[in-house]
Amino acid sequence: MTVLLLLPALLLMGLVFVWPMLRYGWLSFHADSVLTGLNPVANGGANWIRLLDDQRFWQDTLQTTRFAGVSVGLEMVLALAIALLLDQRWRGRGVVRALALLPWALPTTMMALGWRWIFNTPYGPLERLAEVVGLGPLNLLSTPASTWLVTVLADVWKTTPFIALLLLAGLQTIPEDLYSAFRLEGGRPNQALMSITLPLLMPYVLIALLFRGAQAFGVFDLIQVLTGGGPAGSTESVALYAYLNAMRFLDFGYSATVMLAGFLLLTLAVLVLAMLLRLGGLIRPVQS
Amino acid sequence: MNRRFVPWISLLLLWSLLPMLWQLISSLSTAEALVDGSIPFLKRWTLVHYQELWASDPPFWRYLLNSAVVSGLTTLITLVLAIPAAYGLARLPQQLRQLLRWITAGAALFPYVLLFLALLELARRFSLGNNLIALAMPYAGLAMPLALLLLTSAFEGLPRELEDAARLEGLSLWQRLRWVLVPLLAPATASTAILVFLFAWNEYPIALTWLSRDDLLTLPVAMARIAGSSIYSIPYGAYAAATVLGSIPLLLLVLICQRQIVSGLTNGAIKG
Repeated sequence: MTVLLLLPALLLMGLVFVWPMLRYGWLSFHADSVLTGLNPVANGGANWIRLLDDQRFWQDTLQTTRFAGVSVGLEMVLALAIALLLDQRWRGRGVVRALALLPWALPTTMMALGWRWIFNTPYGPLERLAEVVGLGPLNLLSTPASTWLVTVLADVWKTTPFIALLLLAGLQTIPEDLYSAFRLEGGRPNQALMSITLPLLMPYVLIALLFRGAQAFGVFDLIQVLTGGGPAGSTESVALYAYLNAMRFLDFGYSATVMLAGFLLLTLAVLVLAMLLRLGGLIRPVQS
Repeated sequence: MNRRFVPWISLLLLWSLLPMLWQLISSLSTAEALVDGSIPFLKRWTLVHYQELWASDPPFWRYLLNSAVVSGLTTLITLVLAIPAAYGLARLPQQLRQLLRWITAGAALFPYVLLFLALLELARRFSLGNNLIALAMPYAGLAMPLALLLLTSAFEGLPRELEDAARLEGLSLWQRLRWVLVPLLAPATASTAILVFLFAWNEYPIALTWLSRDDLLTLPVAMARIAGSSIYSIPYGAYAAATVLGSIPLLLLVLICQRQIVSGLTNGAIKG
């Protein structure tokens, strides 16, 4: 009986999550592109050999990892500050919390173009400001370094509220008594942050890190709309490369290979990270 | 209010709202004012961008309607499948339940954009493209892990004795769910529904590949299509107006349902 209740949901999940991976596994050993008339033809390991030698794929992997690392790192620090602020008692906290959550709720594509307008040369507010001060033109979205920074900023702006909420939930599980005891023992308030708050918050930080890290590695919407991967491919992500392979170059076999490789690399990264954290004694059992 | 926090709170609000405020200002500026800072303040304003959106073909509200249809349907399908499944999960033996929970959490972490190609193949094979009702199927599948995590932990939180008592009263499984358990789960169900709705409302890569007809686009795809139309002559005024109109439903949703959103997000991450 229980199985019957579970079956529809699990079948749908299997169709959406498991089937694609199996299909990619199969497709990655086939040529399926315009050259084969969009019919899959077995080609041994040719896709995988091509991947190993594909500069663009490894460049994108590096870029995506860097993007994910820096964005999530910044988000974590900012989110902690916001969570500490929202954990204090003050009037109007609920409204501020809702307004701060708004960037997270908006569709990514919508604000991605908004950012393009804000960083536009020469009409965006920043360029105008730079011109008044005498610094302009900045050409923020045509130089690789500043374009990359803009993508990081857009991601940080959107997802920091989400992490802040997770950390806030963590903060609220820390009993007030611990802080009073700490004060009685003569500890200073800023020491309490290091010796009580942060250690007890660690499980929440790790959950957020894991979740956001995986999501940031799959970044697609933001890059596709904000930069299109440019300038000169400098912000292209693995997911965008896979998308271009399928939809622009019509090379489905190779696109599947890229996606499977991206998935495997991500899984590997998560496992290695988890192992390192366990070795470092940072993972403790979280009460469920 | 504690005065010490005022600067920080202001900073937080500025950071969160300033980019959107700039969109609002742009949407109300004339095309000339957008590119020329020297126009006097009183001559800079117009509603023409909003009128354009209304008069365009298809009109802008069509995208809002499409998104609402897909998101509403996704939420419905997800809940109908997830509530019984979560009940089933919560009643499984401990070890099996733990295993399934890990699998579900893994699926929830998964950057789902990587699935688009296989899903697109399914759409082509079964002619599901350009069909908003069909689009709700993969959406429900993608939202399922989150829904299961939230609802399973909610079922586990209910005392067993409650259901045993209902069973002794002779209530069938369906009756127990319908009259005893699900009403008690209303808060968790509401959180789940809102998060699933938000996911579907904001989803981009699958909609991008499944929909091509102008009048069927969902909001995120319609927005991105404006961006792709031409890099050098994006109609920023109209675009800003679209951003503002597109944000209003979400603004309302977040302000009204923030309690459910917050509890859903935190429970999902922590108990999962």
